[in-house]
Amino acid sequence: MTSHMTPEEIEQQADGEAEFAEHLRDCAVCANAVLGAMQMKRAIRAMPRFTPPAALRARVLAAPPRRSYSAWWLAAAAVLAVVVAGVVLLRARDAAARQLVDLHTTILASANPVDVLSTDRHTVKPWFEGRLPFAVDVPDLAPPFHLIGARVIYWRGQPGAYLLIGKGAHRISLFVFAGDAVPRAIASHAGMSIEVWRARGLAYVAVADVPANDLQPLRQAFARD
Amino acid sequence: MTRDSADPRAAFEELALPLFEPLYNYARWLTHDPIEAEDLVQETYLKGLRGFGSFAAGTNFRAWMYRILRNTFLTSRSGLRAVPPVSIDEDPDTYEQISVSETPESLFFARADSETLRVSIEALPLLFREVLVLSDVENMSYREIAETLSIPIGTVTSRLIRARQKVRNTLRGER
Repeated sequence: MTSHMTPEEIEQQADGEAEFAEHLRDCAVCANAVLGAMQMKRAIRAMPRFTPPAALRARVLAAPPRRSYSAWWLAAAAVLAVVVAGVVLLRARDAAARQLVDLHTTILASANPVDVLSTDRHTVKPWFEGRLPFAVDVPDLAPPFHLIGARVIYWRGQPGAYLLIGKGAHRISLFVFAGDAVPRAIASHAGMSIEVWRARGLAYVAVADVPANDLQPLRQAFARD
Repeated sequence: MTRDSADPRAAFEELALPLFEPLYNYARWLTHDPIEAEDLVQETYLKGLRGFGSFAAGTNFRAWMYRILRNTFLTSRSGLRAVPPVSIDEDPDTYEQISVSETPESLFFARADSETLRVSIEALPLLFREVLVLSDVENMSYREIAETLSIPIGTVTSRLIRARQKVRNTLRGER
């Protein structure tokens, strides 16, 4: 007698897919294993079967069906897609808010928050030339707003203009980006008001510890032609 | 069995209605849920009737219907959940080898009532459960299972062995 039957051969023998009669005659170990496999098969086959309800046969015979299994699934998938898209959008807004508030706080905490210190918009606008791939229009700011300075920042891998604007003792960060990487709306975060607007192909995001309403005049000044 | 080309619906029903009970039984094993199983069987008959023109006469009609039912299940909500995104067919070398000291199987099958057996089969991952059900409940040959599941016969064998080993291990654990 050579080696024992492999697990495959045991199952094949029990399933009637192959025949190892000669080996089984001489090997009690394998014969026992085959017997065990056959007993398990028998036990499984002896289990009570699930019987379909009588009404199902009538439904199957009647066409079209009461409702479609796959249509139900498609509807569920559509609902899921909307929910996922909503969650993704909200998370993107939330992440943008956190990042911009962090930038605002970091810049204000810096010893040199701006690279060009100037209250003169005619100094600031040309300073950006050659530093950014787009032109930044700095309007004449009416009190209580006053320009403090500017710098170039990077957010999500793209360059943007940063304008530091004062309103009394408050400091407002105004971020300016080209393109549409900025969400349409960003919720306020950590007690900071965030105002987003678009004008002439640029996206503006103002972040400050002032009520959102107080940012409106700033928005109007920058959105004006 | 004859196929009346004048009435494909009658021809389809003649072939398909004898499979009604086995298809429902299989659907229950796949879904674990009576309502879902009913919807699945109904959808299977609808798709079978619609696609009957593409069924090649002389080939295995039973395997064809089981395949429709299974594919319908796999694209359903619970079907997508049931199949892991990675292959579960492991190296056959990892099968347990026969041990001489092993308790004869007969001892615990005598003790295992059908409810315990059912629970241990229901606990199997779908890809193992279905081969075991097709083989041992529906009495299909390896070839027919391979045709139904669109997998090679070697894969049928290896999944079947692993399915049975898992059931045995469960039953042993409950001794």
